[in-house]
Amino acid sequence: METSFLAQRRPPPPSSFPAFEAFFRAQYPAVVRIAYRVTGDAQAAQDVAQDVFITAFRRFPDPGRGSHAEAWVRIAAAHAALNAIRGERRRDRRQQLCAVDATPMGPEELVLDSESRAEVRQALRRLNRRAATVLVLRHSGLSYAQVAEAMNVNVGQVGTMLRRAESALRKELHDAPRR
Amino acid sequence: MRHVANPVLRRLHDEPLAVPDAAREHLASCPRCQAGSTQIARDADRAASLLDAPDVLTDTDLAWLRLQAQLREPQAAARPPVADPWSLPRRLVRVSVGTGTAVAAGVLVAGVAAAAALTTVYAPTKVVPVQVSHGDIQAIAGIADLSVAAGPDGLPPSGTRQLPFGSVSWTSAGTAQKVSSVAQAVALTHLSFTSPARLPRGVGDPASIMVQPKVTATIHFGAGAGSGVAGSSLVVTGGPAMAVQYGGSSGRAGLPTLVIGALQRPVATATGATAADLENFLLSRPGLPASLVTEIKLLGTSSLPVPVPKGVPSRHVQIGGSAAVLVTAPSGTASGVVWEGRDNIVRGVAGLLNNSDVLSVARQLG
Repeated sequence: METSFLAQRRPPPPSSFPAFEAFFRAQYPAVVRIAYRVTGDAQAAQDVAQDVFITAFRRFPDPGRGSHAEAWVRIAAAHAALNAIRGERRRDRRQQLCAVDATPMGPEELVLDSESRAEVRQALRRLNRRAATVLVLRHSGLSYAQVAEAMNVNVGQVGTMLRRAESALRKELHDAPRR
Repeated sequence: MRHVANPVLRRLHDEPLAVPDAAREHLASCPRCQAGSTQIARDADRAASLLDAPDVLTDTDLAWLRLQAQLREPQAAARPPVADPWSLPRRLVRVSVGTGTAVAAGVLVAGVAAAAALTTVYAPTKVVPVQVSHGDIQAIAGIADLSVAAGPDGLPPSGTRQLPFGSVSWTSAGTAQKVSSVAQAVALTHLSFTSPARLPRGVGDPASIMVQPKVTATIHFGAGAGSGVAGSSLVVTGGPAMAVQYGGSSGRAGLPTLVIGALQRPVATATGATAADLENFLLSRPGLPASLVTEIKLLGTSSLPVPVPKGVPSRHVQIGGSAAVLVTAPSGTASGVVWEGRDNIVRGVAGLLNNSDVLSVARQLG
């Protein structure tokens, strides 16, 4: 995923938060991936990820084994992204705070079917929070055990929640008027 | 064999090895389950395709620089930008484990209630819920500035702290420690503790057993406390206590599913001041919300307050003939129950379980 322009950049300054940095580097791509499933917008997904990690830093300043920090950032990403598409978090202060260029978008983004993505976002907005969350987490590649840990449920409940959520998604997309 | 349940059919689609052989064998010969499986697979594939997305080209170096810049901003200490998705269920478990500022604040609530009820000795015989908000807990913690005193694992075993109106010192008969068996925990604490014979589904073996020796906290009221209270002291003892944390059954072994705790009831004694003086003084500390003060004043002489987050439903139940407070997370994914038995031991059961499972465990203990 690293590209050549990164190699030309000056080496980063020493980290002010070394204990958190390794955790951030390991989890950032996965958190962006989860948020992107919901927002369908790479920049919005990265903004969500920033918010998630700002909050995670306060909750898990030294995220070690047993802290459940990985599970926390995953579900926090799903919730924050769902909030973002529900219009609860409309902010652009990221660009104002940091005078750096936005990360370039992947070329794939340009060819996405924006109409069907908008329909999926509409459906996720209408689904209840648990259903939308389990859909996003599972279809971002998390295992049943990881979904269970993130959502604080028994692993046996994941199948139930997922089945209901997928059925509800089908009905939403089938029944909803085309916009 | 009975038909395969939909959740199992759903998991079969994703993680076939996690499903019992019997379910797979039944599916191979049952047209009805096959039809269900086909519909489930169709929905699952459709959802996967709708939610499919290419990987975003992330620049982790740049994102880390941005994050560091934001963490250094003065407003980084303001309200977190993301709501805590675990705020309710995890809190129930954490509180029952018995560490951290929230518990210390809870002891102070007990201390305040003790003063409210005091003649010379406070020894509660039943539990009652007291609705507290996050702000209430902060206000209570703020009286003794517990957030500074407490480290990541809670208060240190002993210490002294200056208060605006005197000082608080606390000592513990030892440090909290992990032990290897329930029998060892019982030997160290002398608490009567019976492990439940039947555990709910999804709950595995004990994963961690903690012991907290008896803690004694003494508040000395200095001259700043004003007439009637200055020169007096309030001694609150709590514990010893033990907590048995159970892991999950296979597939979620690392996640605590159930915690059972037992605590010798807190007892308070006061010297040099009347109960009314102490009550009035402690409950008039700046920042204590009026509604909380009113609730504490109404507690009576024999009640141990159980802090319940505002908005979380709680109700009275009976465990072994004793009054108990049952708390349920609004999502229904976590519950906890606390009661004081006739042996003056306060017991609690909490977990990522529904009400009936938690009560079933509690009734085996009570």
